[in-house]
This record gives sequence, C-alpha cells and structure tokens, in this order.
Amino acid sequence: MKNTYVSIFKMEFKGELQYRAKAISGIATQFFWGIMYICLYMAFMSSDSVDGFTITQMASYIWLGQSFFALRFPGIHKSAGYEIANGNVCYKFTRPINLYNQWFTEYLGEKLASTLLRFLPIIVIASLLPTNYALSMPVNFTAFILFIISLIIGGLLCVSISMFSIYLTFVTLSPKGTTTIVATIANLLGGAIIPIPLMPSAIQNVLNFLPFRYISDLPFRIYIGNISITHGLIQIGISLIWLLITIVIGKLLIKNALKKTIIQGG
Amino acid sequence: MTKIIEFKNICKEFKIPEKRTGKWSTFLNFFKRKYKIINALKNVNFSIDEGDIVGYIGPNGAGKSTTIKIMSGILTPTTGECIIDGYTPWKNRKEYVKNIGVVFGQRSQLWWDVPVIDSFELLKDIYKIKDDEYKDTLKLLNEALDLEQLLPRPLRQLSLGQKMKCELAASLLHRPKILFLDEPTIGLDAVTKLAVRDFIKYINKVWHTTIILTTHDMNDIEALTNKIILIGKGQILYNGSFDTIKNKYANEKIIQVEFAKPYEKILLNGYELISHDKNVAVFKTKKDTEFHTKAFINEISKEYDIIDFSVNSLSVDEILARLYKEYELQEK
Ligand SMILES: Nc1ncnc2c1ncn2[C@@H]1O[C@H](COP(=O)(O)OP(=O)(O)OP(=O)(O)O)[C@@H](O)[C@H]1O
Ligand SMILES: [Mg+2]
Repeated sequence: MKNTYVSIFKMEFKGELQYRAKAISGIATQFFWGIMYICLYMAFMSSDSVDGFTITQMASYIWLGQSFFALRFPGIHKSAGYEIANGNVCYKFTRPINLYNQWFTEYLGEKLASTLLRFLPIIVIASLLPTNYALSMPVNFTAFILFIISLIIGGLLCVSISMFSIYLTFVTLSPKGTTTIVATIANLLGGAIIPIPLMPSAIQNVLNFLPFRYISDLPFRIYIGNISITHGLIQIGISLIWLLITIVIGKLLIKNALKKTIIQGG
Repeated sequence: MTKIIEFKNICKEFKIPEKRTGKWSTFLNFFKRKYKIINALKNVNFSIDEGDIVGYIGPNGAGKSTTIKIMSGILTPTTGECIIDGYTPWKNRKEYVKNIGVVFGQRSQLWWDVPVIDSFELLKDIYKIKDDEYKDTLKLLNEALDLEQLLPRPLRQLSLGQKMKCELAASLLHRPKILFLDEPTIGLDAVTKLAVRDFIKYINKVWHTTIILTTHDMNDIEALTNKIILIGKGQILYNGSFDTIKNKYANEKIIQVEFAKPYEKILLNGYELISHDKNVAVFKTKKDTEFHTKAFINEISKEYDIIDFSVNSLSVDEILARLYKEYELQEK
C-alpha cells in the first residue's frame, strides 16, 4: 500500500508529462516574453542601476521568472475549476479523502511536472545570451542553496494561494474569472509583472507585509545577491509563516464552502 | 431483515437567485438578492433493507438525483434525518463513504487522459485496498464485465458503453456495502444494457450489496427488482412491489380495430374510444370491467363491418405514464 497523496501526485505528474507539445510552445512563449520584459525594463532603467538593482541582475530576475513560470503563477488545476462549475466534483465527495489536501497535491503535481518540462531549456539558452541580457550564475553557493529552499517554499505558497481560487470558484462557479483575479493580484503584488526592486520604496514596504512577494521575488533576489544571506534567512522564516497562514485560511474557507455547496446538474 | 437505509422527514430546498428586470435591476440585485425557493424534496420518508435492490423511479425533476446525492453525502438536506449503515452521510463523511459506491450515469469519476487501469490503481490507494483483495476484486469485475481490453486504454478513447462498464467497476473496487446508481443505463445499447443488468444482479448476489438505482427505463426495473419507490414533485407516492402496480392495470386492455370501410363516427357501448382515423380505431376497456373477446365481437359487429382486431395489455411505460398522470405529475 502506497501513500494516497504520493499516488495522486504521481498521477498528475504522469498526466502532465503527456503534454510535450504544450511544453515546447510554452518554452517559446516564455522566451519571447523574457526578451520583451528585459528590453522594456532596460529602457526604463536609464542608469546602470536603480537603488543597487543592476541591469544584469534585472535580466537574471526576469529569466528566473520565465524559467519557473509555472511555480509562481497561482492558477487553478486544469480540471478542478471545471469540475466544480459543472458538478463533476461530486465524485470527490464520495472518496475517503480530505478534499483540500487532494486539490493541493493535484495542483502541486501538475505545477512541478510543468516546471520540470520547461525550466532547463530556458535556463540554458538564457545563460548563453550576451551580457546584460543573460541569466548570470548565482552570487555564491550559500545563496544558491537558500535560493533552492526559498523556491520550494515559494512554490508551495503559490499552490496554497491558488487554493483561494478553488474557494472562489465554489462561490462564483466561474473558474476563469476567479483565477484571473487571483493571479493578477498575486502577480502584480508579487513582482511577477514589475520586478519589486524597481518599485518605489513606499510600495516595497507595503509589499513586504503581504504574502505574494515570498512566492518568487524572495528566491530570485537571493539568487542575484540583491538580498543578503542574513536577510534572506529571516525572510525565509517569514515565508514559512505565510505558507502556514494561507494553508490554514484556505482549509477553513474550503471546509466552509463544502458545507454550503450545491452540486450543479441532475 | 435489518434496515440499512433510513430516511426520516427529509426536506431539501434549493435557493436560486432570481434576477430582477427593469430600470434599477442591476443596482438592486447588487444590494439585495431576491431568491426563489425550490422544494426539491418534501418530507421524504422511506427505509431500505440490507441486501435489497430497489428501483427509485419518478418523472424528470422529481427529486431522484437529489435523494441519491443526499444518500452519498454530497448534499446536506435542509431538515430531516438520514441514517445509513449507522452513519449520517453528511456528518462523518470520510468514514461513511468507505462503505458506499456511487455511479452517476451522466458523469465520469475516472481520469480522462490516463489508462483506466491507472485510475483503478489510484482508487486502490485512495481507499487503501490491500493488494490481494484488490487483485481478487479486479479479477471478478474483469470476468463479469469483460474489461480486459479496456483497462490499458485511456478513458477518452472509450465508447459510452465501455466507459459505463469501467465506471461501474470503479465504484465497486472497494467492495462497498451499498451501491447508488443514478441512471446507470442511460444511453446504452440493448446488449450493453443487458450486460449491465446482469452485472448488477450478480454483484447483489455474490456480495449482498444493497443497491438503489434510478432509471427511466422500466425494463431495468422489471429485470432487476420488484421493489420500487415512486417519487413525484419531491414526495414519495408509492413504496412497495411493482407487481401490485402492474396488477392494478392488468385488466385494462387496448383494442385496435380495422374496419372494412371508413366510418364517420364510431360509438361503442361499454368501451372508451381513444383514437379514430378513417378505418382504424383504438378502444380501451372501461375501469373495472373485464375484457371478453366474444362479447366485444358481438357488440362491435352489430353496427360495424370489421376485418381485424388486436388486444394488448398496457406496457410498463404506459402504466407508468398512467401513474404519473393519475398523480398529475406530468409537466404541462
Ligand atoms: N443545483 C440546483 N439548484 C437549483 N435547483 C436544483 C438543483 N439541482 C436540482 N434542482 C431542482 O430540484 C428538483 C429535483 O431535481 P433532481 O435532479 O433531483 O431530479 P431527478 O428526479 O433526478 O430528475 P431527472 O429524472 O430529470 O434526472 C428539480 O426541480 C430541479 O430543478
Ligand atoms: Mg436525475
């Protein structure tokens, strides 16, 4: 007998690996947007650096974002949203399993498989680009280790924030609309659209008090050396607290939604 | 016999937001939603014995699926009590569902992109079924439903009937004590329907599984069970044997007559004229009168010149239509 969640994870992973064509077109899109963003922010950063955030660092920040796109984009599992809207979710109710955990595992499996299929080619190609446009090496080995740790926490945080989309889908029955809203908020406040180091410091201070920048801004800035090791460690602690808080809130919300839910369709 | 399912005074209301129309509608809708209440179940009471197969029938929108959803822990009733195998379904859900299997004929529980067998293996892990038990069960299901060829294929490649066989098997992997089937034969061809019916009977026999099924195909009921519960407009109208209902209408005959020439008007003493088109007419016996061939021929040949006639009993579908009409359940 295997662990149920390991099996669910494997199933999602296997399912996602079937979509190789999707992954290849995904890589192309990611690459295109990477170049676009770098050119845009290069024009915007008239001098070589903004508050110590250099152009080379900016390029690496953008490329990391493109490489780990799936891990930092809070969406909704490809079938979870629709099954709630059309009522197929009723079968999940008839299984001896916690639904929050199941959705969490499913989405994590999908995201991880999708990331593993895409990140390496983007990283390799981006590293070979001319300076100023290229992805640089991590500042040092410790930073690299902290980057990995915070990226894992960030990926989990991304999934735990995505679970709010599941809750909102129960309320609105519109997976597309809710996902767009949640993703836009998280991306905007998490530095996925405009890198946080480029934002005015007043806004940066506010964003430090929200969970979103711990998804990807923290690991990326540790990688490029924009955040020191000591600060990085403290902030990893904070991100763990946020992970815990979002999971607890998500669980409560979904428990509540399940109680009130009306399965659609006869 | 021990009662395994008890439904006591179950009511289920659906609250659906009603859209206002008019000048300020959007504005008003935003602040105060108007709701319309639909009473899907009104004070439903019944009980089901362990090991029984029960047909749960009624016209569209009667509340069958709603009842199945409450029994499988998917919906919480507005009021009332329901005890199944010692559990209240919507309370200890995780514990309770280990004992039940559910199939909704119009939905799918299997994973779309992966081979069916992978879905089965995942269900095995979700229900924590032991390896050897799983092997035995799979073998039995395989033989009964002839799944061998289907299991390695992804669900999306299977036909409706093949899919239904897999869905049925999936709902039984953990050998549930109770099986809920909501329209398991919908859309199936004659051969698959027979296979599914045989399978349902077989499972009931070998595992003593209590089975509740809804269907609009009265042949399903005839083939499977004599116990029916009839629901209409959210209320239980009849709970008992199907034969009793059939016997109630057994006397009623439909007589089709062919005349030698067309008649303008036809009137026959003691019989009800149902339809008349040129030289063909259909009669029905009046309530509580028995049909005698000789008397009928005597009566009709007094005035009319007949070539041929045939006598039929009501089909099960006609009986049901009659029953629904009697209870005024037919949607107008
Ligand atoms: N999610 C819902 N929201 C609002 N009303 C609903 C909902 N589900 C069912 N109803 C209403 O409850 C009533 C019973 O529906 P139900 O699906 O139980 O009927 P049924 O007996 O299964 O019918 P059918 O034979 O057509 O499947 C119907 O009037 C239906 O409109
Ligand atoms: Mg129904």
